[in-house]
Amino acid sequence: MLLRPEVLGALLYAVSSVEAADAKSAESGRPRGVGPEFAKFYKTSDNFFSCISNPSQRIPFSQVNDDYCDCPDGSDEPGTAACSYLTPYSYPQPHLRPGSNLTPENETLALPGFYCKNKGHVPAYIRFENVNDGVCDYDVCCDGSDEYAGVGGVKCEDRCAAIGKEWKKQEEVRQKAQQRALKKRKELQFEADRRRTELKDKIEAGKIRVQGFERRIVEAEENLKEVERREKLRLVKSDAQGKGRGRLGVLLNLAKDRTAELRGALMKVKKQREDMVARVSELEALLSELKETYNPNFNDAGVKKAVQGWEDYAARESTDTWTDAEDRDLTEIAKEDGSESGVNWAEFEGSESEQAASDAAAIYSLTSYLPGPLQNWLGSTMSSLRQILIDNGVLPDNTIHANLDDSAAVKEARKSRDDSQRDLTDAQNELKHAEEDLTKDYGPNGIFRALKDQCTEGDFGEYKYSLCFMQKTTQQPKKGGGQTNMGSFTSFETEFTDDDLPSGGKGLGRGERVVMKYENGQHCWNGPARSTRVILACSENEEIWRVSESEKCVYRMEVGTAAVCGWEGSAREAEKGQASVKDEL
Amino acid sequence: MKNGQIEGTILKTTSEKEKIKLPLVVTFLDSGSTRIQVDEEKRQKGDIELRHGSKVRKERYNEAAGWSLTGAGLQPQKLSKFDKGDKSTTVTWGSSNQFSVIITYAPFGIELFANDKKQVVLNERGFFNFEHWRPKVEKPVTEEGKDEDKKVEPLVPQEDESTWWEETFGGNTDTKPRGPESFSHVYGLPEHAGPLSLKQTRGRESNYDQPYRFFNADVFEYELDNPMTLYGAIPFMQAHNKDFTVGVFWLNAAETWVDIVKTQQGTTMGLGGHTDTQTHWFSESGVMDIFVMLTQSPKELSKKYAELTGYTAMPQMFAIAYHQCRWNYVSDEDVKDVDRKFDKHNIPYDVIWLDLEYTDDKQYFVWDQDNFPDPIGMEKQLDEHERKLVIIIDPHIKNKAGYQIVEELKSKDLAVKNKDGNFFEGWCWPGSSHWIDCFNPAAREWWKSLFPYNKMKGVQSNVWIWNDMNEPSVFNGPEVSMPRDNVHYGNWEHRDVHNLNGMTFHNATHHALVSRAKGESVRPFVLTRSFFAGSQRLGAMWTGDNQASWPHLAASIPMVLNQGVAGFPFAGADVGGFFGNPSKELQTRWYQAGAFYPFFRAHAHIDTRRREPYLLGEPYTEIMAQAVRLRYSLLPSWYTAFREAATEGVPIVRAQYYVHPHDEAGFDIDDQFYIGSTGLLVKPVVTEGGESVDIYLADDETYFDYSTYKTYSGAGKRHSVTAPLDKIPLLMQGGNIFARKDRARRSSGLMKFDPYTLVVVLGRDGRADGELYIDDGETYDFEHGGYIHRNFTFGDGSLKSQDVSSSVSTKDTKKKAAYLKTMDNVLVERIIIVNAPKSLEGKSEVKVTGQSSKSGGTASMSYHVAKDGNAAWAVIRNPAVKIGADWSIDLGVNTDAKGEL
Repeated sequence: MLLRPEVLGALLYAVSSVEAADAKSAESGRPRGVGPEFAKFYKTSDNFFSCISNPSQRIPFSQVNDDYCDCPDGSDEPGTAACSYLTPYSYPQPHLRPGSNLTPENETLALPGFYCKNKGHVPAYIRFENVNDGVCDYDVCCDGSDEYAGVGGVKCEDRCAAIGKEWKKQEEVRQKAQQRALKKRKELQFEADRRRTELKDKIEAGKIRVQGFERRIVEAEENLKEVERREKLRLVKSDAQGKGRGRLGVLLNLAKDRTAELRGALMKVKKQREDMVARVSELEALLSELKETYNPNFNDAGVKKAVQGWEDYAARESTDTWTDAEDRDLTEIAKEDGSESGVNWAEFEGSESEQAASDAAAIYSLTSYLPGPLQNWLGSTMSSLRQILIDNGVLPDNTIHANLDDSAAVKEARKSRDDSQRDLTDAQNELKHAEEDLTKDYGPNGIFRALKDQCTEGDFGEYKYSLCFMQKTTQQPKKGGGQTNMGSFTSFETEFTDDDLPSGGKGLGRGERVVMKYENGQHCWNGPARSTRVILACSENEEIWRVSESEKCVYRMEVGTAAVCGWEGSAREAEKGQASVKDEL
Repeated sequence: MKNGQIEGTILKTTSEKEKIKLPLVVTFLDSGSTRIQVDEEKRQKGDIELRHGSKVRKERYNEAAGWSLTGAGLQPQKLSKFDKGDKSTTVTWGSSNQFSVIITYAPFGIELFANDKKQVVLNERGFFNFEHWRPKVEKPVTEEGKDEDKKVEPLVPQEDESTWWEETFGGNTDTKPRGPESFSHVYGLPEHAGPLSLKQTRGRESNYDQPYRFFNADVFEYELDNPMTLYGAIPFMQAHNKDFTVGVFWLNAAETWVDIVKTQQGTTMGLGGHTDTQTHWFSESGVMDIFVMLTQSPKELSKKYAELTGYTAMPQMFAIAYHQCRWNYVSDEDVKDVDRKFDKHNIPYDVIWLDLEYTDDKQYFVWDQDNFPDPIGMEKQLDEHERKLVIIIDPHIKNKAGYQIVEELKSKDLAVKNKDGNFFEGWCWPGSSHWIDCFNPAAREWWKSLFPYNKMKGVQSNVWIWNDMNEPSVFNGPEVSMPRDNVHYGNWEHRDVHNLNGMTFHNATHHALVSRAKGESVRPFVLTRSFFAGSQRLGAMWTGDNQASWPHLAASIPMVLNQGVAGFPFAGADVGGFFGNPSKELQTRWYQAGAFYPFFRAHAHIDTRRREPYLLGEPYTEIMAQAVRLRYSLLPSWYTAFREAATEGVPIVRAQYYVHPHDEAGFDIDDQFYIGSTGLLVKPVVTEGGESVDIYLADDETYFDYSTYKTYSGAGKRHSVTAPLDKIPLLMQGGNIFARKDRARRSSGLMKFDPYTLVVVLGRDGRADGELYIDDGETYDFEHGGYIHRNFTFGDGSLKSQDVSSSVSTKDTKKKAAYLKTMDNVLVERIIIVNAPKSLEGKSEVKVTGQSSKSGGTASMSYHVAKDGNAAWAVIRNPAVKIGADWSIDLGVNTDAKGEL
């Protein structure tokens, strides 16, 4: 059995070995149950004892340890349970304040408990409630001195030699483990710092990249403009060849594309609807089965509510039905355009040139009366003129887009610009994430940066649990079945724990502990969204010690990790302060 | 007429002018009680035809007495006078001929007298009806509604065929005991969630629209102030006035209804008015078997009723300490953790409980291996501090291939059958299930065989049992129970035995636990939800699935008090409320109330937040810990009260009318009560934000606040007692002595050898007395002299301790001596005299005579003067007298009061 001072609880604490050494010398002089640091109160010259907190109250020394509580602070009974009721947990009554007459006096116990010398081991105080109750409390009093009266025939032999030896052995193991854990922590801290530095470097590089992309975009824009200008000039020339690329032709293309696009979207929506219908049917089947098979007397308000809700739902007239005819129409619409169905685009494409002719009628019809060479001259002059007018904003530029789409050079230039834009956005996002990551709370000294996304697993009860640092917690039934999300990491907290340390030291113990909060996991049937409190204590390796579901879907994970070794609550405060200074800088 | 019994026949004339013979037996008992039994000749003789070739019994069900009664108190009295006349017969008996009964012939009626005063009239209004058997006239199927749950028009049975046959009222039994003039209050008839003084169910002034109903059922979220049926049934009623207490025990296990009508008589000009109470009882089937008990006080009546149905089983000490329960502690580690946390927070507790989820797939007797891999290790940890574990085992057995228990149940043919003679299959926690038929002796034997330690895995001797769902609860059955035409052992239909069912299962478990290993002889603990008259012999009950609300806290008090009235006082409600999350204030107040339930257990539903007292934080944790520790310090007095219940049949917590039967003003009060015979009077705060309560004092005695000794006096008045959250309104009545143990320990088992504090609360006359009962708190040695029973008296300036244990046979002398030896070192460490007379002021030493652990024969005393309305008190310091020995402490002055206060 490993004995640790921490197990003694609030009232009990171990005495340092220096004091223990003192104890030896003063041993014979002290009344039973008195620790060396209180020895001075029990030295008497006149055979009277003064209550420690109320020195004015003096009793014959023979009443010390006579198994009757005389002092309001219990100091006259260091070696018995007679004053054990002197606690705020006792229902108040006049006589519980000995020596007082309904006037409140200092009733706080003057002594921390019954002092067990525990020769061969570490001395400790045990609660007065546990003195002479017939139980050998070896975890505190390995010498069995708490049961000297042999109540009910109990005999507690001195086990300090064995327990002390075992404790020393364990203590050595623990010390070694502790050292290894601290070393591990150093490594983790090193890794965390390294990652942080890396991140900072990445941010610097990212900033430069962003600047680079920004510059590239400017260049690409300029290039695009230039290419477009060139192409437009070329187009206007070729346009004059009357190759039937009029406004209507453009419209036709646009309409065709648009229709195809709409049809695609429609088909996607239809597919989605069908999926949804399938899901709704599946759900309705589930619910009607629930309604058929649930037990109305099974005292579960959630089930009852669900069934009631289903009945209401089923009774409601729905407006979301559709007919087969409507469905057939939809299928018809969905067919590819062609001579058989939809719009036969080919028909319209056939008359393109005429359309183009009428499109340019205002200018071109006049020229048809002129001789050929003149027509050419006029044509080219008119084109130049029109281009000038367009360039100067006098005429609207009707043809540009449709026509430039075909230009490989423009495409190339635009793509180059778009690519640059995308690169920039990516780089900016990456930078933003990195910057956010840098300021994100990674726990004390940012050490959890080293454990980020690292997962550890453990089997408890019927589940396999997994904890991924800074990410999520999950459970999975051993008997099979899917993983259930028990929450995603939200923030750090601290909590004061006061647990006994099991032998082997795999427990939270007593003190301020780092807590990782995981929230908004999968919703519970008839309960809240799952959440997990991960409470961390020092251990060499990352491991889950214990998982408990204290309430429905509220989990508590006790986890060992080297990341919190040597961490103290106050240290964290200091660290926090530092962090905020850094932030300001 | 012979041997104290009259036998006769009641003739029922039907509409067909046919005469139905109903054999009648009236028995005049030793105790002065009268038993009236009516059967039906045709069915006795089996002279009827059952439809559809049914194999069920032809007789009316006549075995309820075999279950409910102990067999004691049934001896007929030798009559001193028997006078048979033309129109009536008169019988007179009793030690001073104080009892007489007049039986009139036409119409049939019985009048019962005590001391020449008419107390009870049976069938005054000629309502008596015994629905005899008739052949069924087959009708078209459409009219054969098989709705068994349809409410029945009470009172006059109709000659309409559909009522008396197909609707299951194949045999109404009907009568009407009626109090004489001025029985305005009737009590009893648990289990119902209403006031202690029963309300009217009919008539113009009626409070309810239906009679009090008995049909044990798993009621979901029961309503308060309602005569609806709950989980248990005790058809025993007390009618009380300031001079007499009359009991009626209607021994019938079928569905039963009781109507209560109160009528004002002679109120002309507002003078001399009084109230008559008429009750009307009817049951679905079975023979009629009524006991009428005429007594002069509730205590006397309790004794007579207990003589018939048995006394409270003396529990182990742990059973009356604090229990920590929750649906569910989810693993053995969880249990061990809660156990450690109680110690860490210095709050005592004795028992931790496991609800359903400890089982593998709801299979009782099989641990869930994943979550409870090491039950023995868990039990050992609990045992280190003498703590216990209680696990749930219900009567439904999962119907699953390969589950050994169900396979045995079926192969041995021990399950309840359906009407076709196949094993009844229903739905409960495990899903498809069968039900053990504990009416069957072979089933009980088999059940017994499942519990020995070498058979039941993962269980050691500190494990006890909780029987739930034994109404029985069947999720898919009519009214969440079994079909009434199910068939039990002996071919009795379920309808005949329904209300007994819970008790038979409780009984089987109780007996299965009596001896789990050779040589082990410890008192079993089994908690039950369903019960019947007689269940008090088997263990404790609780009031089922209540809610975390203030009204439910308030309702728990009359419910627990009423259990005491009806002879089953080991009762409590779920502290904190089962459904829902109590506010911290409500939970704290509930602990303060629960510390005064005979059965003190906190429990919570699986959907609630954790609420172990240490989780609430200050000041709540501290206040709850105080309540728990107060319970522990008073355990000696509670145990003494249990002893009184176990020997006298009296309630453990007692209502105002019960303690002050002559004070009419207190007859309606059911929110304050006394603990045993200690004179401790408590009125728990049951309202949100409550700052004070008004405590009604019936008598002239002075009462003293438990925590300040503040005095209250004035009979027939209410007195305001302040009660902030950290205060329990608890008074000590002058004239009483009670015992405590002031040292706090981790569990009651660890207090066994701690010294006592005696609190002597002097009455107006300067005197006081009280009792203390002690035994080993676990074995049956107390039945063989292994106990200490002391009477303490204070008067004439001295306090004396005298032995009041009964003499033991020579065979048992050794056990007695051995027990006294183990208690030899157990002393009285302190005597507190509250309301100490002035004459004690200045006295610093008292004389101690008798066995003491120290020499010298004196002890010192300190005196504390009265001030600010608080009484004076004195403390005798460490007289060190032995608790099991005769002694006296002489104060050296006359302490008898001369009206100093």
